[in-house]
Amino acid sequence: MEQNKIEELVAKYNEGLTDPSEVLQLEQLIEEGKVDLTQLRSLDRLDEQLIAIESPATSLAMDDKFYAMLIKEKKKQASSSFKFSLPSWNWLAPRLAFSVALVVIGFGAGYMFNTKADPNVELLTKQVADLKESIALSLFEKESATDRLKAVSLTTEMDQVSKKVTEALFQTLNNDPNVNVRLASLEALIPYSKDGNVRAELIRSIGKQDSPLVQVALAELMGMILEKKSVTEFDKILKNDKTPLEVKNRIKESIKVLI
Amino acid sequence: MTAVRDGDVERLGLLFERYKRQLYGFFYGMNRNQELSEDLVQNTFFRILKYRHLFRGEGDFRTWMFHIARNVSHDHYRKDKLKWKESVEDWQDKLGHEENREGEMQSTETNVMLAMAMARLPHDKKEILLLSKYQEKKYKEIGEILGCSEGAVKVKVFRALQELKVIYQQLEKTM
Repeated sequence: MEQNKIEELVAKYNEGLTDPSEVLQLEQLIEEGKVDLTQLRSLDRLDEQLIAIESPATSLAMDDKFYAMLIKEKKKQASSSFKFSLPSWNWLAPRLAFSVALVVIGFGAGYMFNTKADPNVELLTKQVADLKESIALSLFEKESATDRLKAVSLTTEMDQVSKKVTEALFQTLNNDPNVNVRLASLEALIPYSKDGNVRAELIRSIGKQDSPLVQVALAELMGMILEKKSVTEFDKILKNDKTPLEVKNRIKESIKVLI
Repeated sequence: MTAVRDGDVERLGLLFERYKRQLYGFFYGMNRNQELSEDLVQNTFFRILKYRHLFRGEGDFRTWMFHIARNVSHDHYRKDKLKWKESVEDWQDKLGHEENREGEMQSTETNVMLAMAMARLPHDKKEILLLSKYQEKKYKEIGEILGCSEGAVKVKVFRALQELKVIYQQLEKTM
């Protein structure tokens, strides 16, 4: 079919005037790659709307189940790679005695400090948390901003984060090329702002920011946690001629709360 | 995925974090059931782990993942003999449930109606539209999942969108 005929057919379809035989012709052209689906306006609009629909967020239980499965697989892998060879009695005897003693002491201590928490569950919870942390730290290293955002989001799902994680969050807050990732990492650090070291790092971070959005977010946070020591850093931003007026005004509002 | 296949199973966590939302969105689009969709995501990753040695590394991981996801979905429905079709009344009931309300209330009326129209589409048409969405319209890759040509996928998407449009217009009249 000639190009102008194809265009006519597409126009007719877009007007809703095609008959069933013409729709079949159109299908043929779509299959041959002569008509692109985006040319069919009403369908393309519908498709875009469909893409825009978001599904609900997944639960943390789903993540935990996955990580528990991964840990189980890792253990299976480790045990299958273990090669057993029979040791000599001289080598084994003292070790065996020591192990028995340890087991007895363990039972004794367990009896004395008996708590209701299931140690297996506790161990698994700890392993899941460790694995999540390790995944988050790997994601922080990725080139894609989406992956780094996922890393930040993963840290927000943790009950308690390690020093390594807060360091990674600060590294991101201070150096990430993407402003959204920096903002997300700042938000992720808020729950830890009671910690003196985190507060000190947050104050240091003020001088490292060149994005007005992050500067304003930091000013709001400092106002919220009433961190007076941050005023000196904000003064430097206020004195900088390059700082936009809107940012200066927002910072001034936060300083008013602090002094 | 090649690292996972070669023994570094921990790295599957990276793939899980990268694709869990897309995979969940695919299942949720198919069944509108949050708990079931999460179980199916788990089953998919379980199979990925179990059959990791079968990943040849030639194609895209996401394509392979959706191939497995599709099988997981089919197996589930075959086993439970669940109905594919849902009535509008069922849908309205679902919107009333606590777990669905939160997400749906945030959507615009159009989105809710579109989701209702999707729920009324035949299974194969719903599936092709969801694959198109989560595979970002990469029709060649979808063809690999479905075992057909790129052109055939485009025609399937065209037909599915046409039917969706008709159902949507019918719903518009009744609402």
